[in-house]
Amino acid sequence: MKGKDIFRLLMNPYTRIAGLSAFGLGMIFMVLIGFFGAANGVVFDGVLDMHFPGKVTLLNSFLYLAIDLVSLILVMFIAGLFVSKTFRFVDILGTMTLSKAPFLILALVAYFVTVPDMKDILKDPNIIFQSVSFLVILILSLPIIIWNITLIYNAFKVSCDVKGTTLNLNVIYGLLLSEVISKALIYFLIKNSIQLT
Amino acid sequence: MLPTQCPSCHTQLKVKCLKCENCETEVNGTYDLPVLATLPEEQQQFILRFVKNSGSLKEMASELKLSYPTVRNLLNDIIQKIELYER
Repeated sequence: MKGKDIFRLLMNPYTRIAGLSAFGLGMIFMVLIGFFGAANGVVFDGVLDMHFPGKVTLLNSFLYLAIDLVSLILVMFIAGLFVSKTFRFVDILGTMTLSKAPFLILALVAYFVTVPDMKDILKDPNIIFQSVSFLVILILSLPIIIWNITLIYNAFKVSCDVKGTTLNLNVIYGLLLSEVISKALIYFLIKNSIQLT
Repeated sequence: MLPTQCPSCHTQLKVKCLKCENCETEVNGTYDLPVLATLPEEQQQFILRFVKNSGSLKEMASELKLSYPTVRNLLNDIIQKIELYER
């Protein structure tokens, strides 16, 4: 396989894998992300979010991930109902789950990150530039999030067979809506009521 | 492969002449190409595979080493082209 083919496969694995097999592979990534996220003190609290709250329980790490995934799948499934007559729920389920895979890199790299104390940052924001590892993960998070969005875009494209403006608008609105829903769910279910941390 | 488009202006070609190889009889006229013949070669091959697999997209997907929705999308493209031709 040539470099170009590998790149294409990394950006759009869904031409080869979808449905239940993609869901199974995606779940393996989700378990690893949840585990390493908790171990390295990073949470993915939102469809496109990552934060360093310090200590993270394993339960919380997985709850955040589950909320992100459910929000994304539900919104994209409803969007699919409007734009496609032939798509299957299992394809949305599998491809969207697999689209979370790039976050494993961030969960692993977080092990090397020293996060400056929030109080110190508020006193002197320039303190961020003294933590090289924190800067590295900030810079690294940008291509990872772009990769994640590309995967979500291709997941919806392949699963629902939509193209052009319909595809672009549905992915943009779908991402924004799922981000809002995930944030709201995290606030109401975890931060507001359960108080797990 | 049967040419289906004019090499000069890309308009759909028509059949002008058919010939019997046995008795050399020629039938002349202006006939439309069959719908399937107007499709690109790879889509014709896809239809042949589809028929050979008894219309099973799952079997097609495993044979072509593609995902199920990708194969279904290829079929959707063919359906769209045929519908466009019929209109």
